[in-house]
Amino acid sequence: MNYILTDEDMKILFSRIKEEYDTYGTVEKEGDIVYEKVDGFESITFGRSRYAPKEFLIERNENVLNLPVQQKKAVFGVMSCDLKGFYVMDKQILGKDPFYTQRRQNTLFVNFPCNVECEGGFCSSFGGPLLDEFQIQVARDGDDFIVSASKEYEHLFDGFRKTGDEQIRKLRKNFLKNAKQLPVEGIENRIKWDSKLWKKYSSVCISCGACNYSCPTCYCFDLFDQDDGRIREWDSCILSGFTSTSAGNVRKELDERLRQRFYHKFVYYRKSQGEYLCTGCNRCTEDCPVDIDIKEVVTHDYSSE
Amino acid sequence: MNSYLPEYFKEFELIWESRDTYTIHLPKENPGKAGQFYMLSSPGIGEAPISVASGHLREMLFTIRSVGTVTSKLPDARVIGVRGPYGTSWPWERYGKILAVAGGIGIPPINSLFDEMVGTGRGKDLEIIYGARSPSDLIYHKQRKEWAKMANVIITVDKGDPNWKGNVGFVTQFISKSETDRDGAVFIIGPPLMMKNSVAESLEAGFRPENIYLSLERRMECGIGVCGHCNVGEFYACEDGPIFQYSAVKHLPELFL
Amino acid sequence: MGDITVCPYCGTGCQMILEIGESSQRVVGYSRSPVNSGKLCIKGYSGLTYNFSSERLKYPLMKENGEFRQISWEQALEISVSKLGDISRKYGPDSIAFQSSAKCTNEENYLMQKLARMVGTNNIDHCARSCHSPTAIGLINTIGAGAATGSIASLEDTETFFVIGTNTTEQHPIIGAKIIKEVKKGKNLVVADPRRIQLAGLASVFLQFRPGSDVALLNSIMNVIVENGWEDADFINSRTEGFSSLKKTVSKYSPKVMEGITGIEPEKVYRAAEMIGNAKPTAILYAMGITQHIHGTENVMNVSNLALLTGNVGKRGSGIFPLRGQNNVQGSSDMGALSEFYPGYVRYDSGKLNNFSRIWGKEAPTQKGLSLSEMFEAAAEGKVKAIYIMGENPLITEASTQTVERGIDNLEFLLVQDIFMTMTAGHADIVLPAASSLEKEGTFTNTERRIQLIKRIYSPPGEARPDWWIIKEIGRRLVGMDDYSSPEDIFSEIGRAIYNYSGATYSNIYPIGKQWPINTDNPDGTEILHSKSFPIGRGKFIPVEYGPPAEQTDDEYDFIMTTGRNYFHFHSGTMSRRTDILERESPEPYAEINTNDSRRLNIKERQIITVESRHGSIKIRAKVTSKIPEGIVFIPFHFSEARVNELVGENYDPISKIPEFKVVAVKVIP
Repeated sequence: MNYILTDEDMKILFSRIKEEYDTYGTVEKEGDIVYEKVDGFESITFGRSRYAPKEFLIERNENVLNLPVQQKKAVFGVMSCDLKGFYVMDKQILGKDPFYTQRRQNTLFVNFPCNVECEGGFCSSFGGPLLDEFQIQVARDGDDFIVSASKEYEHLFDGFRKTGDEQIRKLRKNFLKNAKQLPVEGIENRIKWDSKLWKKYSSVCISCGACNYSCPTCYCFDLFDQDDGRIREWDSCILSGFTSTSAGNVRKELDERLRQRFYHKFVYYRKSQGEYLCTGCNRCTEDCPVDIDIKEVVTHDYSSE
Repeated sequence: MNSYLPEYFKEFELIWESRDTYTIHLPKENPGKAGQFYMLSSPGIGEAPISVASGHLREMLFTIRSVGTVTSKLPDARVIGVRGPYGTSWPWERYGKILAVAGGIGIPPINSLFDEMVGTGRGKDLEIIYGARSPSDLIYHKQRKEWAKMANVIITVDKGDPNWKGNVGFVTQFISKSETDRDGAVFIIGPPLMMKNSVAESLEAGFRPENIYLSLERRMECGIGVCGHCNVGEFYACEDGPIFQYSAVKHLPELFL
Repeated sequence: MGDITVCPYCGTGCQMILEIGESSQRVVGYSRSPVNSGKLCIKGYSGLTYNFSSERLKYPLMKENGEFRQISWEQALEISVSKLGDISRKYGPDSIAFQSSAKCTNEENYLMQKLARMVGTNNIDHCARSCHSPTAIGLINTIGAGAATGSIASLEDTETFFVIGTNTTEQHPIIGAKIIKEVKKGKNLVVADPRRIQLAGLASVFLQFRPGSDVALLNSIMNVIVENGWEDADFINSRTEGFSSLKKTVSKYSPKVMEGITGIEPEKVYRAAEMIGNAKPTAILYAMGITQHIHGTENVMNVSNLALLTGNVGKRGSGIFPLRGQNNVQGSSDMGALSEFYPGYVRYDSGKLNNFSRIWGKEAPTQKGLSLSEMFEAAAEGKVKAIYIMGENPLITEASTQTVERGIDNLEFLLVQDIFMTMTAGHADIVLPAASSLEKEGTFTNTERRIQLIKRIYSPPGEARPDWWIIKEIGRRLVGMDDYSSPEDIFSEIGRAIYNYSGATYSNIYPIGKQWPINTDNPDGTEILHSKSFPIGRGKFIPVEYGPPAEQTDDEYDFIMTTGRNYFHFHSGTMSRRTDILERESPEPYAEINTNDSRRLNIKERQIITVESRHGSIKIRAKVTSKIPEGIVFIPFHFSEARVNELVGENYDPISKIPEFKVVAVKVIP
C-alpha cells in the first residue's frame, strides 16, 4: 500500500518504528554520509551513503560459534541499490546462513529511492531505484513523501493518507527518462571467456579487495580459528588464497580471478538464481583505486574480439 | 539453530594408515551417504571438509592426508568437532554396475561406497581401480582384502619399488580393460589431472557422459553454500557437489585445475 | 560510533573511517582525504585485526629465571627507572641507548628523543636509519630539507613519472594506483628496477638494471640530458650551484660505456632521459631501492642532481618523492629521533641547541651518538649496557642479526615496550604493554609531510597504555620530565621546538591534515616545497662517482640477493602476520628465483633450497618466476622462520650508516 506523508508525518512514523526497533540512519560525518544510531527523523541526512550497509546483516568479522540474540533494528536512509543487494543475495544465503537469516528477519530497512540517477551509478539498468521488493520505501515527490509499505508494516501507517500507484509510476518514468539503462540483459551470452578485458584489468589491479568489500551483493567470507573462536571475516575473490588448496589453485592468475568476479556476477548467478549479482550501485568502481569500471564489462563489444 | 556449531568428541580413535595419512574414527553413526562430506574441526586449529570413509549408518570414519594447515594438526587434537553431512552422494542405486576409479587420497569415499553396496548385497556390482604414487602411499590394506572378496579390484602404483610385484602405471591405463559393462556408471575421484584423464579414458572406453560422476575438490570453508570459496561456474561444490554428473559440468572451463 | 584515523601500515598515510560494530569493525576509506580519496589497499581493509589478537601484551612483565611474570605498572616503572638510573650513574649516560619507532606518533618520538637527551646522550635512533637516513642526510645536503618536495595530489600534474627503486603498487599501493591512473591517461612512465614489478608492465621505458649500479644509471641518464642540451638552463642559473662540476662528472658516463655496469642498452637510457628531461613536469619517486646501499646517500644526492638538472623541483607535478616505509618515518625523523639530529634536523654539533636546552630545562648533549647498528656493536663490546626499545624488532629487521643478538645478550638491562611479544621483546628484562595506534591519540606525518591526527577508536587491552604515557612516566621519574596530560600537550611543545610544525594544532589539522612547513610564514601549510628558494639558498649539485657495491659475486657466491617486502606483509610481520587474510595470502618465507636459473640448478617450485651468503645461511622455499632477472634472488624479510637478515653483512654507507640490504652475494644450493 502507498501513502502520502508530510514531514511531520514522517516524524510520527519514525517514532512509531522507534517503539519497536533500535533506530539507525544516515548522518553526515566530515563530509561523508555514514550510518549511526539516530533518535529522530530530523537527524537523518538524505544522500548517498559512503558505503553499503552490509554490516547490519554480515559483520565484517565475528565468531560463528556464538550466535547472539538479534536486536530488532530499523535502518533509515538506505539507498535502493544497496537494499536490492540484500534481496539478490537472499536467494543464495537466506535460510542457510543463520546469522544472516536472523538479522534479515529482525532488521527493517527503510530505503530512500533517488530521484535522479547518480553520475556513476547505473541502477536504471536493473529497473531503477523504485523497487518492487522492499519493506518500507520512502520516495520523495516535491515536499511529499510517497511511502510504500509491504504488508507486515502497514500497521505503522494508521491514520496516514493512502494513495494509488500513480505517483510511483510517474517517479519511475521520470527517473528512467534521463538514466543510462545499460544493456545488461543477455550479458551472460555476450561476455567472453578469453576477452582481452581481463588482462587489461589485471595489469593495473592492485588486489585491494575494495570491489568486494564495497559491493552490496558480495557475501563471501573466510573462516578461521582464533583462540576459542571460529571467526568469519569478509573475504575477496580477487586474492589468490581465496581458492588455493593443497591440490593447487584453480585461479592462480589475477586475470582469472577478476574474470571470475564478473562471471559470478553476470553469468553464474544469473544461471543459478535467475538474477544478476549486481544492482548498478557503482560502488566497486567508485572505490577502485585504478578506475576499473564495471560498466565497461557490461557495455564492451565482445563480438569485435 | 546455529548450523556452524559442531558436535564435539573427546573420545575418538586415531589410526595411522601411512606416513602421512591417518583415519579418525568417531563413535557416532554416519547419517550421510558415500560421497558426502563433513566439516571436521578442532578448536584453535580450524575446520576442513573431509569426505566420509564409512558407509551410511556405519560408525563415522574419516581418512585424511596431512597436507594442509588444519589436516596436519588434527592428529594432535584432543577434541574433534564434526558437522554435516553436506553435499551430494554417489548415485550408485541408480546403476546396475559401477566402476570406481580413485587416485591417492581419493580412495576413502570409495571405501564408503563399498560399505554401502556390500550392505545391500550389491558388492559384486562394484569394480575398483585404485592407484597411488608409490607402494608406501597405498592405504587400506585390510579394507582392500575385504573389497577383493566381493568386487573386482585393480591396484596400481605410478612408480614401484624393489618389493612391489603388482601393477605399475596410472589408473587411466586400466579403465579400458574394465569388466564393468558400458551402461554402468563410472565414479572418479582423485587429483585434478588424474580425474581429467580418467574422464577422457572412460569416454574412450565407451562409458556415457551422463553416467560418469566426478568428486570435485575445491576450497570449502562453510559447507553450506554461503562462504563462496567453492564456486565453480553456476554451482557451489559444497551444495551442488561434491559429486557432479560429468555431462552437467563438462561445459565449465574451470572444471579441472 | 566511529571516527577518522590513519592506516597503521605504510607511509602513504591513507585516512580511513573506522566504526565499531557489536563485535566487529567497519573499515572504509575517507573520501574527502587528499591522500587517498577514499581508497585503501588490502592492508587497510583486512590488515587491522591484529589489534584484537589475544596475543596482545596486556600487563607489564618482568623476566625471572628466564620466565616472564606479570608485575604492576608501578613495579615495572620503578624497576626500569632504577636500573636505567644506576647504569647511567655507574657508566655514564652514553652507556644507555634509546630506540624510538616510526610506528609511533610524533608526540611519542619527540618524547623518546627528549628522554635520551635529558639523560645526557645522543644515543637515540630508530628504523629510519635502515630506510631513509640517506634521504634525510642526502637531501639536506643538496636542497636543504629531507622530505618529499610535493604532494601526492600534485602528481595529477605530472607528465613523466620516473620510478626508481620502489615497487610502488606493492609497498605504497595507493600512490602506485595514483601513478597507474595518470599513466592510463597517457602520461610517461619510466621504471628502473632490477625486478619486473607491476609498474614495469605499464612503463614507456623499463630499465631492468643490475642491483647496486644506481649511480652509473643515473649518471648515464644525466649524460644524455647534458649531451643533448635538455637541461633546464634557467633553473640551473637562477636556483643552483655546482653545475659545472656535475657536467664534468657525468660527461664520463655515456650510456654506451655504462652498459657494462648497468646492463641497460644505450637506446633505452636515451629514451628515458628524453622523457625525464623533456616531457615535464617530471616527478621522481624512490624508496629502499635507492637508499639501502653503501652508496645510499650518494644515490639520493644523485636523484637530487637529476631533479635539479631538469628543473623538476618547486613546481606542481615535479619533485623528489622519497616514499616512506613506516607510517611515521617522516614524523619520527622530523622529531629528531636520530642520533645526529635534534628536532627539526638541527645537527648535534651545530651549536644551535639552545632552544632545546631552554624548553627542556636541561643542557642538550653535544657528543656524537650511536646509530642503530652501532648500538648493538657497542653493546657487544660492552660499551652500551642498557637499551630501551619502543616498538621495534631489530632481531628480525636489522642487518646482521647475529651481531644484534650478541649485543642484546651482553646487556645489563633491556627494556622493551611493544604491542606484542616480539622476538626482541622475548630477550628483554622488562616488557611494557603498549596501546596500538588505533587505541590512542596523536599525530603521524606521512610521506608528503602531511601532519595527520589519529583518533582513539578502541580501548587498549588489559593494562596496556599509550607509549607517550609510558615514556612520560619513565622520564618524569628518571630525569624530571614534564608531567604531560595529553598528546596535545606534547604537540604544543613540539610546535615550540620545531618551527616547521609551529602553526599546527589538533583542531586545524583535523580531519585532512596539513603539510609542513606550517608556521607564521605558511599558516595553511605548504603543498610544494622550494617553489621560490631552498632553505640553504641555492640547490647544490653534488656529483657522485660510481663505486661498486660492497659485495661482489665470485665463482662461489654467484648470485646477488636483494631483500624487501611483499604486498601482504609489513616489516617483521608483528602486525600483518597476525591477520588472517594477509597471512593466508603469504603464509611462509620464500626466495624468488629466475625460471632459467631454477632450470639450470634443477630447482622446482616450492622446493626447499639453501641460500648462503658469506655471513650466514637459511633454508627457504623457492618461488620460480620470470619477474626477477637471472643471477638475482629476492627474499622478503618478514619471516622469523627464515631470517634473511642473517645473510646480510655489516656493510654500511659511511655517511648515513644504513646497511646494504639490497646487494648481498649468495650461493643457491638446491
